[in-house]
This record gives sequence, structure tokens and C-alpha cells, in this order.
Amino acid sequence: MSNIAGKAYSMNVVTPIRWYTAFVNKLFFRIAAKRPATIRGLITLSLIHYAHWVIIGKNQFPHVDPAQPREDLRYSYMLFFSNFNGSWDQYVDSFTFSIPDGLDLFWKWNVRYPKSVPLTPFHDYIRYNQLETIHYYSAYPLAASNDIKSAQAVRKALLAFRDDPAEPDEEFVRRYRALIRGLQHDFGDMYPAPIISMSAYQVERRQRWHDGRLPQESGPEKNSNNVKTPFQTG
Amino acid sequence: MNTNVSGNAYVLTALCPVRNDCTEDGVAYANKVRDLLQEWNFEQNSPMAKVPGTYLCRFFVLDDVLTESLPTGSALDVVRDLSPYVTNAMRQHAMPRNDRLKSRYLVFTATFHGGPAADLDGYLRGMWQVIGDRIREVWCYCYGFNQVNDADTFIRYIKSCQLSAALFFNGSNDETLEAQLKGLYLKQELSRFAGENQGLSPVELRKNFAAFLERVAPADLSGPMWTPGQYRL
Repeated sequence: MSNIAGKAYSMNVVTPIRWYTAFVNKLFFRIAAKRPATIRGLITLSLIHYAHWVIIGKNQFPHVDPAQPREDLRYSYMLFFSNFNGSWDQYVDSFTFSIPDGLDLFWKWNVRYPKSVPLTPFHDYIRYNQLETIHYYSAYPLAASNDIKSAQAVRKALLAFRDDPAEPDEEFVRRYRALIRGLQHDFGDMYPAPIISMSAYQVERRQRWHDGRLPQESGPEKNSNNVKTPFQTG
Repeated sequence: MNTNVSGNAYVLTALCPVRNDCTEDGVAYANKVRDLLQEWNFEQNSPMAKVPGTYLCRFFVLDDVLTESLPTGSALDVVRDLSPYVTNAMRQHAMPRNDRLKSRYLVFTATFHGGPAADLDGYLRGMWQVIGDRIREVWCYCYGFNQVNDADTFIRYIKSCQLSAALFFNGSNDETLEAQLKGLYLKQELSRFAGENQGLSPVELRKNFAAFLERVAPADLSGPMWTPGQYRL
């Protein structure tokens, strides 16, 4: 199980919704997609990389083979997937405190949704309906969502910065300082988060592998598919 | 309107039904899939790090849907609880129903750079080309995957399992993955350069900055930069 990939956390929430209210929910989502002002509150939550909602009708679970039994469900289901930075509590609480109305609008018709305020029943609801990720991958585990946004500001500023050889040194320094001043909010060193994965054991193994100590410690081993991993020496 | 798209970013959601069967050792296929994905966590990096354009992705097995079993505190429930004339059967009928899935599902979601054309086919083709063997080892336990034998059939299969997003929120950006990784590298390097080169004479600062630009090559997306999935500096 690994809900964490570096600084990103993956959340999966599956909630039942009645078919006739699922239709209303879909309509709200469609309006929100067409009018970004309606999700302005989400934009203020800068800890989110990407998030999306999926509504599966009770007859819409994929059926790809005649041998597969057809589902026979009473409810439709809403799936919520999010990639964010920070802890579970920080994320859920920031939703409650920043956009309680928006949150209620999206989940309002889900069966037994308790509303986002007060906090404890909402925590219980999310925790009960959350499913754990088995494998989670982030292309930039060292970076938070804000790092990725500020990194583009740095890249664009550097691309726009030209050093003209004919320019006096003093003028270069003036422009250089303006560049650095303009990027003040975008600077900052990035380092590995304290937990790079949920498994401390896994972190330790990686560390030992990087230090070159693992082969001596573990010896040859193979996984059940005989697929060699970098930890394996045999 | 393609709801899976936000700018140049694309979100793929696929629910692939796992066969209701067991291995010779008596392990349910769904648990086998779970074990295989768990093993990916113990490799130096995820196989998905090789798939071009992947920002973030996840895998899990949906064993069953969730049943809301708790009563609410609504006025109707309170009346039902207080009234001696309401039978247990009526009380239970008022509770949410118990749904059960007939298959388990391998859930795969990926957020990637789809470009202006929202190129899902191109992404899946790239995935098949670089980690086709790893895909096969996991997906071979799914219904219908026995029809998959090349990139085209893989694309068709995933599309048959795809569900559209009702709403996709992009809180990051939709640059190419290379531009994002280059940006992160530049941010790290320029932050350090600015700190280490304070108080120098104009001539020395200019000389150092020219050397810095030559080293980091801001315009070169194939040059020095972070690699996908890099977790150490």
C-alpha cells in the first residue's frame, strides 16, 4: 500500500449516489467545468496537483467480456481522486474551512453525506469511504504543487533573460538583481520529504541500495515473476 | 466538450474487471494483481517512470462498493425510532441498501500531458512500447485482456474500460513533463546560485552567471534536468 509518493498523497473516495440525484450532480459538474468561476475556491487550495470526479451509472461499470458477469446495482457511484501535498488531515480540513459550500454542492446528494461542517462526521465519512492506493507514482516526488508552478516562472524568466556583451557590467547587475527580486516568491530549495513512501522499510532498502550496501546484505533474490529489480543481484 | 481534458493535461480513468478465478496456489486473481502492484513499490523506481508524459498515476483494486450503513439523525428517522408501531423490517427498509459488485476491478488513473490534441492514443501507445511486459504481467488477470497483443489492441482495451471524468481540476500546470522537470531543476539551481553569489563585484557576478547559464542550459529540454520520478538530489 502506498498512498504517498514523495510529497504527493493520493486519495480515492467511492460514495453511493441515487441514480436520479446522480443526474443532478452531473449537471452541477458540467456547469462547474464550463464556468471556472464556480470552482474558484478550489484554486485557492494550492496544495492540489490534480483532482477529478467520476460518476458511474449503476449500469455503466465496464463490461468487456461475455464471460464477465453483469453488475446489478441499486446505486450509481461517485469516485473522487485527488493528488495533493501535505497530510490527510490538512487536506480534508482545508476543504472544510475554505470551501464548505462548494464541497456540499458536489457531495450533497450522496447517500448519508453528513455535510462538511461539523468536521468530525465529515472526517468519518471520508475515512469510511476511502480506498487505499496500492501503487502510486509521481514524476516529481521532491516537489509540491506550488514548486511546479513556481518552477515555470523561474524557467520563463531565465529564458527571457539575455546577456548582451555590449551592455556595461553595472547595467547587467541592475537587470540581474531585478530578475532575482522578481522571482523572490518562486525560490526555495527542494529536498526529499521525511517519508518518501508509506513503507519505512522500503525507504531504508532504497537508501542502502544507493549506498551500495544492499547486495552484500540481501544477496540474490527474485520476485514471484522472476523480474529482476535493481535491488536484486542474482 | 471533453471532460477528461484541462488545457494540455489529460486524466485517464479505467476500471478493468479482474477475472473471478484463482491461481493454482488458490490465490484470487484480484489478490494476485494486488501482490504484483505491491512489488512495484519495492523497485528502485516505478515502471511508470519510463512512460513518457506521465505526471502522476495510481493503481488499486476495487473489491466492492461501499455501503452506507449508519442511520441519520433526520426527523423521519427520529420518528421511526420513537414510534413503537414501526416494525424492524420497516426500519431496515428505510436504511441504505446493500450493493455488491460481481467483479473486482483494477482501477488505473493517470494524469499526463496530452497536448492540444488530447492524445490518449499516443500516451497508451508509448506506455505499451516501454513497459508492455510489465502491463501484461498485471493486466493478464483481467477479463478481455487475452485479446490484447499489441499497442493497438491495448489502446482499444483501455478505452473499453475508460470512464469519463465528470469534472477535472488542474491545480498545477499543463506544460510538457520535460518542461516541468527542467523548470524544477532550474528553480533549484538558481535558488542556490543566488544565495552563493551575493556581494560579488559586477565583473565577477557576470562571469559566474554566464558560466551558470552555460551549465544549466535553460532552453535545452534534453540537457541537465531532473529525471521522471527522481526522489534524490
